[in-house]
Amino acid sequence: MSLAPLLRKIFLVDLLKGLKVTLKYQGPKEIVTEQYPLERPAIAERFRGQPRMNVNPETGEPLCIACGLCALACPEKLITVGSERNPETKKKELTAFSYDISRCMFCGLCEEACPSDALELSQDYEMATYSRDELLLNREKLEKGPEPTVYER
Amino acid sequence: MSESKFYENTEWQETGKTFLDSNELILNMGPQHPSTHGVLRVILKLDGEKVLGTDCVIGYLHRGVEKIAENRTYVQFNPYVDRMDYVAAVSNGLGYCEAVEKLLGVEAPERARYIRVILTELNRLASHQVWLGTHALDIGALTPLFYCFRDREEILKIFEKYCGARLTTHAFRIGGCQYEIYEGFQKEVLDYCDFVLPKIDEYEELLTTNRIWVERTKGVGVLSGAECIELGATGPVLRGSGVKWDLRKAQPYAAYSKFEFDIPIGKNGDTYDRYLVRIEEMRQSVRILRQAASSIPEGPITAKVPKVLRPPAGEIYHSIEAPKGELGYFIVSDGSTQPYRVRVRPPSFVNLQALDKMVRGWLVADVVAVIGTLDIVLGEVDR
Amino acid sequence: MHALTDYLRSNVTPGEAGDLLWATIYVLLVVAALSVAVMLMTWLERKILAHIQIRYGPMRVGPHGLLQPIADSLKLLLKEDIIPAGADKLVFWLAPVAVVMTAFTTFLVVPFGRTHAVTDINIGILFMLGISSLSVLSIIMGGWASNSHYPLMGALRSSAQMVSYEVPMAMAIVSAILMTSLKTGTGTLSMIRIVESQAVQGRWFIFSFFPLGFLAFVIFGIAMIAETNRAPFDLPEAESELVAGFHTEYSGFRWSLFFLAEYAGMLAVSSIAVTLWLGGWLRPFSNALAGKTWDLAFSLLPALTVFALAGICLLGAVRMPKHPSFKIQTVGLAVFGLFLGAVGLVLLAPQVRERVQDMYWFSVKVAFFMYLYIWYRGTFPRYRFDQLMKIGWKVLLPLSLAVLILTALVGIRQELATVLMGVLR
Repeated sequence: MSLAPLLRKIFLVDLLKGLKVTLKYQGPKEIVTEQYPLERPAIAERFRGQPRMNVNPETGEPLCIACGLCALACPEKLITVGSERNPETKKKELTAFSYDISRCMFCGLCEEACPSDALELSQDYEMATYSRDELLLNREKLEKGPEPTVYER
Repeated sequence: MSESKFYENTEWQETGKTFLDSNELILNMGPQHPSTHGVLRVILKLDGEKVLGTDCVIGYLHRGVEKIAENRTYVQFNPYVDRMDYVAAVSNGLGYCEAVEKLLGVEAPERARYIRVILTELNRLASHQVWLGTHALDIGALTPLFYCFRDREEILKIFEKYCGARLTTHAFRIGGCQYEIYEGFQKEVLDYCDFVLPKIDEYEELLTTNRIWVERTKGVGVLSGAECIELGATGPVLRGSGVKWDLRKAQPYAAYSKFEFDIPIGKNGDTYDRYLVRIEEMRQSVRILRQAASSIPEGPITAKVPKVLRPPAGEIYHSIEAPKGELGYFIVSDGSTQPYRVRVRPPSFVNLQALDKMVRGWLVADVVAVIGTLDIVLGEVDR
Repeated sequence: MHALTDYLRSNVTPGEAGDLLWATIYVLLVVAALSVAVMLMTWLERKILAHIQIRYGPMRVGPHGLLQPIADSLKLLLKEDIIPAGADKLVFWLAPVAVVMTAFTTFLVVPFGRTHAVTDINIGILFMLGISSLSVLSIIMGGWASNSHYPLMGALRSSAQMVSYEVPMAMAIVSAILMTSLKTGTGTLSMIRIVESQAVQGRWFIFSFFPLGFLAFVIFGIAMIAETNRAPFDLPEAESELVAGFHTEYSGFRWSLFFLAEYAGMLAVSSIAVTLWLGGWLRPFSNALAGKTWDLAFSLLPALTVFALAGICLLGAVRMPKHPSFKIQTVGLAVFGLFLGAVGLVLLAPQVRERVQDMYWFSVKVAFFMYLYIWYRGTFPRYRFDQLMKIGWKVLLPLSLAVLILTALVGIRQELATVLMGVLR
């Protein structure tokens, strides 16, 4: 073996190189952990989180036109849209809407299918509940939007 | 599950010792194990510490993805595809969308193809970072895992900003991309390229010349080029054994023909060479990213595709170079909105067959290293 | 009162002076200090390993995880005591006890200062080596009594590793012992006299006959890591390997005894390294920076270190998150910082300064070795078992033999030269 590799082998140069890298990262400034409940991560705008039904901000009327396209688009068939035809305006109105988060894979196909910006996947990701029934969201819960519980301690 | 069937049919080496002398032991490296990268069960026949034969039992993560495909429309099946190789979800989506596009006879526009290449190469980087972290962890180095995951975090942030999810991205649609690139996408990708190259050098400083690493990986799990081709192994496993075959160059798809990059080849086909091949692939991915992100052409991001997809009856096989190897989709259409059959050719499944050949005659500690070097993801193996 | 003044005025260890009361007190102090040191080590290991891996480590249990060791020991004490069916009950009970006893017994002769050892046996270093070899027996007992072949394989591998690395360790120790006879003409195996001969020669043995002393130190440094089953030689107890090690079947308090013994073993071999090569309790630069002012400056260092630690605590208390759930932690950390400050003030008093100096330097050097242990664990992958044994027998043993012979030859170079002259003439 030629001289330089031999010397490198004897003097454990490769091990020292590794030690140097790990030494560099021991400074507290290098830590990238976010201490979760206190520091929340920054969520992107397009994040596909908990679904929400939007209402018209001025009038308070639901933007949903009860077309049922979201139910057709969903791969898991977990949206059910109940509608009735309004005899005066001859348009369909939304009566019941249910969304089952327990099987949802947050693919966003329902959000893409909605023609009126009514169904939207918000940026909320804290969706844990204490029982499976609470995962079946009805229209009120969807319109109120994600309500994270605030804990004191 | 009756155990005896497994060992009766396999030809395992005999020790040549008499019954009283031998230390033969049937060891079960069970589904729950820190090093099997998922739920893989490996039954080992050992003589003391030497491995005489192995048998893999898979299926613990089988979810029936291919059966689900028969009951979903083409557009609806797209999100399921990410969940197979969950580490490299973008590649899975790319393969599927391109296969269906071929069946339909549409071509994604130029801009969409560039965006696809950028996201796929970012995903290749992320997948190789996961591979490096877990492989090093199995061999005993505790820290590269955390460094790799920290760097991968930046990629996941880009994915989140682009398509809304970090891991199961559902990034592409049939005909192009759904999302327009966000403000600052190109700058972020180029910044990431500058950020990650010194980090790759750091991983190499920690491992490549480290004598312990070299001793654990050099000469371990050797697979010659001919054996690889015989088994059907693809990806870095094939390239580490010296065969120059990369689908991005051999059968270019998306926009790969527009970029300049090299294919790293190994010499001996051992674990160390596969490690070097993957590290170099990471660097070449950065090279592709730099070229792609600085020159995204203008134009539409999706081709004109009917709302209800009804591909003509026929079948197609389309494969891409996923980070783990050749990922192929064989789609049979019978003219309706739902595919008749979708068969996925997962690279990890085929590569896993090489485990037995690579590990015979080596020690138990090497089984862990070899499973790591094959880079398997059980989601893909079991689908 | 007499006992106290006798003790304070003596310049020998209580064991030598035959002072039974103080010897017993020292034994209890050593056991207590060891336990505290082991607990501190577990906290330090988790924190430093976490920082190497760019994360925080324990942060919740106490301020910055300082109460984590207490939580861990409480948990281990309260765990269910599982004894595997078919296990040999007596041996199963005896193994952890034996391993802890051997680990703690080695500390009888470890000198924290000229008078700060329990006793000074004439064959101190041999005593330590012998007792640590006994721990191998208790590991085999532990693996055997578990009645399961994985722990047995792990125990056999572990003991094979420990036994094979004891040989280069012993050779390295002998080459250091050889150097004790340089100026005085008589060598010694007693731990205190080894350090005193380093003081007399005015040079730590690591620098003697450069590079031989350094080489012996490096050989011992590698062998001691393998001896204590730590990374990169920790295959027998690695989690990602199949055989989970000899302490698989032990749970709760029994496991914590094995754990305690492992860390105590690490401290013991580090103490040997410090005593033999790094000058034990002697302060650094005692030749280059000699004189009354330098002595004074160096003697202020223990107090300054404690003040620095107190400052870090108070700084940490100031930078704690201002959330109401962290109030108790902030207050706790601040109180701890003030307590450390008070200890530092006590350490400034002149009488305390002299007595504490030795212990301080010894502890600092041993702490450096502990840091090295943790650093290696975070950096290096682990060796396969056959590669491990190859290094022990084929690399370290010839090297240590060569170092031993060369040290001996260099040590008697005057006599050798005269003999050769006589022969040639």
